[in-house]
Amino acid sequence: MSQHDNSPAHQAFLTVSAALTGYNSAELQGTGCTGEYWHQFRQVLPEEILNRFLSHAQSLGQGDDDQIIRQTYLSDRCLGPIARSLIQLWYTGQWVPLSQEWRESYGASRFDVVKIISTRSYKEGLVWDAIGAHPMGAKQQGFGAWALEPPRKREAGQ
Amino acid sequence: MNAITDDDRTYDVVIVGAGFSGAILAKELVSAGHTVLILEAGADHGKTWETYRSYLDQYYLSLAKTPNSPYPDLPTLPSPSVLDITAVRGTEPDTNGYFVQRGPLPFGSNYLRAYGGTSLHWLGTSLRMMPADFEMQSRFGQGVDWPFGYKDIRSDYERAEWEIGVSADAEEQTPRALGIKTSGKHDNRGYFAKGYDFPMHSIPSSYIDGFFARADGMPIEIGEDPKDTVKLKVSRTPQGRNSTPRKPKNANGIPVGRKMRYQFRPRGSTGPFAYMGQRCEGNSSCIPICPIQAKYNAMKTLEDAKHIRKHHMKTITQAVASKVELAESGRVSGIVYKKYSFSGVAQYELRRAKGKQYVLAGGAVENVTLALASEICRTSGELGRNLMDHPYMMTWGSAPEPVGPFRGPGSTSSYANFRDGTFRDRTAAHRLEIGNWGWNFATGAPNTDVARFVEQENLFGKALRDKLYHDVQRQVRIGTMVEQLPRSTNRVTIDPAYRTPMGEYRPVISYDLDDYSRAGLATAYDTCTQIFQRLGIRNHTAYNPSDAGYFTYDGRGYTFFGAGHLVGTHRIGTHPRNSVTNDVMRTWDHDNLWMVGAGSMPTIATSNPTLTMSAMAYRASRAISDAVRKGGAK
Repeated sequence: MSQHDNSPAHQAFLTVSAALTGYNSAELQGTGCTGEYWHQFRQVLPEEILNRFLSHAQSLGQGDDDQIIRQTYLSDRCLGPIARSLIQLWYTGQWVPLSQEWRESYGASRFDVVKIISTRSYKEGLVWDAIGAHPMGAKQQGFGAWALEPPRKREAGQ
Repeated sequence: MNAITDDDRTYDVVIVGAGFSGAILAKELVSAGHTVLILEAGADHGKTWETYRSYLDQYYLSLAKTPNSPYPDLPTLPSPSVLDITAVRGTEPDTNGYFVQRGPLPFGSNYLRAYGGTSLHWLGTSLRMMPADFEMQSRFGQGVDWPFGYKDIRSDYERAEWEIGVSADAEEQTPRALGIKTSGKHDNRGYFAKGYDFPMHSIPSSYIDGFFARADGMPIEIGEDPKDTVKLKVSRTPQGRNSTPRKPKNANGIPVGRKMRYQFRPRGSTGPFAYMGQRCEGNSSCIPICPIQAKYNAMKTLEDAKHIRKHHMKTITQAVASKVELAESGRVSGIVYKKYSFSGVAQYELRRAKGKQYVLAGGAVENVTLALASEICRTSGELGRNLMDHPYMMTWGSAPEPVGPFRGPGSTSSYANFRDGTFRDRTAAHRLEIGNWGWNFATGAPNTDVARFVEQENLFGKALRDKLYHDVQRQVRIGTMVEQLPRSTNRVTIDPAYRTPMGEYRPVISYDLDDYSRAGLATAYDTCTQIFQRLGIRNHTAYNPSDAGYFTYDGRGYTFFGAGHLVGTHRIGTHPRNSVTNDVMRTWDHDNLWMVGAGSMPTIATSNPTLTMSAMAYRASRAISDAVRKGGAK
């Protein structure tokens, strides 16, 4: 796992991930999981599809990202399921396998199985931050913290 | 047939099982100067930092974070799992788990076969029973009476609370302070002994508890008689987890089990480990594993026992008790066990442990399968019968504002109002536990929320983040635990057709809910609905006929789960014909054999059974110590 992967493909992976998750690239890298997720992503996807997935990264960040995401990713028969698995990977640290139908159409990988990527990925799941809590069993908040007012919603980059 | 090798040493007491009861017995008996051997079927989970830490990692990596998920489930030593539970249909038993389930309803509870036992994954709830709970037959014409009353066990409750290290304030925990309209006039008097208090202060209430407390004072009709109407009250739950030790008000200390005790010293984790007794730091994973062992587990008591007199106590792990052997006199002459070297490999050496007194402390189900396999304790016909649990029903909804779930211990408070009352002649008493982890137990939140929002609601980016915050912050859940009555048809048996790879009998379980418990659950559901209405909580509860634990009552359907509270299978009593053991847990049939644990309890009441089971272990330990001293036959 490389800690400082500056390759254009990896940067594109982060750019698309940021648009899909609502967390910025620095926050995503802050999880320390980008290497593992990039690795998992490449193991599952055939190269041609991977390239297609990343090719739209350059059009992001220039205004109407929401429309691009909906149009080129979410509603695409091939890229949609990948995008949805990737969002869930970031949010829960768990890879959600692609459907049987998708595999028959675009290619199956033996790495496309349900699993929590690592102990770190469990703890770094974005869902815990999004809901204003901490991962169950880790990053504890201290004695009596549960009595305090609920945390306010945090916006991206805050 | 393997030859059986006798162990070299004969002990004063041989104990089967290193859980809550076995640990307290060992510590008490070693303190009294006796020699003790513990046989534990599972492996040692606390020996080193690395062992325990590896269970935490296993928890992180488990897709389904069930109570047993951090711990190894060996084919050689299976533990029951909540994932194995399905509806039992027709006459064929369900055999896909460790239990063989005959139904008609599935028995939904589990336990852990390991050094430390189920204490490794308990929640920590440490409730005393109510005085009425010992007199179910004479007060309500239901179930049976215990052979002793509340006052007889009160000092053992004190001992157990100081051993476990319970955090609570006595003045908050009397029946009156809890808002209970007790069925007996004088039940509140002397509930705590004069001058007594818990070793540590209460664990702080969660923000969610405070939200629910806004409904305090709301009247709920529970019986036919308007006098029975109770006023709702959120009250804190005594918990076996470290908070702040209490400084005794009186210079003489606090009277605990007829001895004066000074400031309690919280214990940290076992083994060479960095955490030396901190307070609960809110890891929000009590079930299934406390990362820092701020929550009590039996390994702490076992550690104490070893330190008291090193050469008096021996523990053999990976030793599956297989047969209790009898001499012609009817006394126990030895326990044959299977010692396996490699976890998961069904190869073993047959050995025989020898002692003067023998104790089965392996839990309500394992005690029974061993006794049935050994063809002992047969006079009463009660062995294995009267299996009870707390049928556990959840109601969940969305609060009108953020309440801060997924922080802190699983539960810090409950509505204890319904733990006693004159209604118990027809409706089961119950306790409504307020959950701190949103819909986690009910729906698998928050992961299932992510999946639903992404896959079905087509959300992403900022909208997904906002929706997660909005919805999950509002998640609230109440868990109802209702009492069950002892029924002879709810039982554990064995059948030669069902064995483990080690050749041991698997428990065969028949289980049902009677109308008494169903009425309690239905009443509790109505109460929850009223609480939701009062607080503006949108009800999301869904019970599905395809749920394994689906049942109906009065034309409505509900779903229940197990609470992991396995009780009643070798109950104490007044006579060899109504019980398996006497009131100090000595078996009626075999003079030097004892059965100790939650299986000893004749009724389950509304308290999680751990504290009562622990108190009863003190009661048994004194009698066992006397028996060792007297020696010989009757």
